[in-house]
Parts: sequence; C-alpha cells; structure tokens
Amino acid sequence: MVTEHGNPAAGDEVKRGHAHEGPKNHILAFILSIALTVFAFLAVIYAHVLEAWFVIGFIVLLAFIQALVQAVFWMHLKDRGHFMQRLFLAGGALVAMMCIVMAVYWVWW
Amino acid sequence: MSAANAHHAHATGALPPEPEKATLEGRNKILGFWLFLGGESVLFGSLFATFIALRNQVLDGPTPDHLFDLKIVALATFLLLTSSLTSVLAVQAMHRHSLQGIQLWLGVTVLLGLGFLGLEIYEFVHYVHEGHAFTTSAFSSAFYTLVGFHGGHVAFGIAWIGLIMLQMVWKGLTVVTAPKVYITAIYWHFVDLVWVFIFTVVYLMGKVG
Repeated sequence: MVTEHGNPAAGDEVKRGHAHEGPKNHILAFILSIALTVFAFLAVIYAHVLEAWFVIGFIVLLAFIQALVQAVFWMHLKDRGHFMQRLFLAGGALVAMMCIVMAVYWVWW
Repeated sequence: MSAANAHHAHATGALPPEPEKATLEGRNKILGFWLFLGGESVLFGSLFATFIALRNQVLDGPTPDHLFDLKIVALATFLLLTSSLTSVLAVQAMHRHSLQGIQLWLGVTVLLGLGFLGLEIYEFVHYVHEGHAFTTSAFSSAFYTLVGFHGGHVAFGIAWIGLIMLQMVWKGLTVVTAPKVYITAIYWHFVDLVWVFIFTVVYLMGKVG
C-alpha cells in the first residue's frame, strides 16, 4: 500500500516516471475476442451452406488470431523486456503444433 | 520505470509503479512461470493431438454433433473471456496500488471462473446421462481427458487466486505479494487462451464434422 511520507515532490517524481496504461487496450482486446468468437460460432451455425474444410480452416484461423490478441495485450507480450517470455511461449506453441501435425497427420493417418 | 526512480522509491519506502518487477526474485518468478507455460503448451498440444486423431472414433456412443449444445458452450466461453479481462483489470489496479481494486477484480474473476466450472460439471453430468461416459469410446476418453484437464486448470486457478486474495488481506500489497498477483493473472489468461482452442477444435469442429 502507498504511504504518505511527507515529501510530495518525491511522490510526484515517481508518478512522472511511469505513465499508467489505461484499460483501453484491454477493453479493445476483449471486444475483439468476443467478435472473433461470435464469427466462429456463426460460421458453424451456417456451416451447411459452406464447405466443411473451409469452415474448419476459417474457425481455426480465427482461434489463432484471438490467441495472439490475448497473448499480446492481456499477457503483456507487447510490453518492453518480454523477449524471453515471447520465446518461451512461441517455443511451447511450436512444439505443441509439431505434436499435433506429427501425431494426427503423419502417424495416425 | 527508470532505475533512478526505483532507487528513489526504495529509499523513501514507497511502492514502485510496477511492484511485481521491483525485485530480482519477482522478475525471476515471472520469467520462470513463462517457462512453465511453455511446458504447459506442449502438454495441451499432446492432448489436442490425441483428441484430433480420435475425435471420429465414436464406436456405439453418441457423435459430437448429437452431443454438443452450442448455447452452453457460448455461455461458458463468454464467462471465461470476461474473467480473463477482469484478471488483467486486477493487474492494472495493482499498478495503481489499489488493494481494494485488486480484491474486487480478482473476486469477480473467481466468481466467473466458478460459473464456468459449474456449467462444465453440469455439461459432463448431462453427457454421462446421454451415454457418453469416459470409457464409451476413444472419442469420449480423448474428450474427457482434454476438456477435463482444462477444467482442472480452471479449478486450480480458482483455488490459487482465492488463496492469494486471502493472503493479501493480512499481508497487503508489497513487492513480495505483487508478483503472485501478476503470475495468477498470467496463468488465468493462459487457461482462457487454451479454451479458445478447445471451443474451436472440440465443440465447433465437432458440429462441422
């Protein structure tokens, strides 16, 4: 908790050194996530007029876009000093994708 | 945050603007947690691989198209998405040094998480009554393993965030408790991120075929 320490100049200096990021980006990420989710559900609800492979490709693409939006904004990956964080998540995601491609499209079929 | 400001804040006893990154221990905890999330990605990747390979092996059990109700999935998705937003708002409250704000947004996050978990338990009970038990088919085993593992992560997250909230009551917001709040929020976002792929691959692709 912040304590007043009888030195207003010191408090001002700390405040000036760091501009607080408002909730705007996070609310935008939320609206974008909801919109992408709604598009994916609508694509499946109206899937009967479209080709199945097209619908699957479309919703998987939307999922990746939404995951990226959430990782960049909500998980702060866009912030400075997040190189290792990006590396760890990208590395994990890469191995996960290799698991899926190899298990499903190489070994199983 | 500049080093001069951090030093100044330390000298006057004030909490720095980003208290979760004020100590080396805090920064290392966050970095270590991201390494853990890389491992978690691989774990969920292998469960997704199993599910995608086996999702059409329904044997005599119900098919995904027959089983899934998109209305419940949409509601669960909305609850979890909103809870991910509220957990980032808790981190922003922490950057404003508002303990009340942290407790409020973490509390909302836990409530939304409980709502999601309740829906999932209802859904699983309903499926078992429909004849879709763990051992019914390769599809049902892969389904319960993947979705149940995610639900387990949600349950763990609720307990974890709840305990952090409790600890904040008597320890307050310090450079020791701040990294814990930050890490639980990152964990919660990750659980939500995995759900994006679950509702897409398990439920929506199950409806398409």
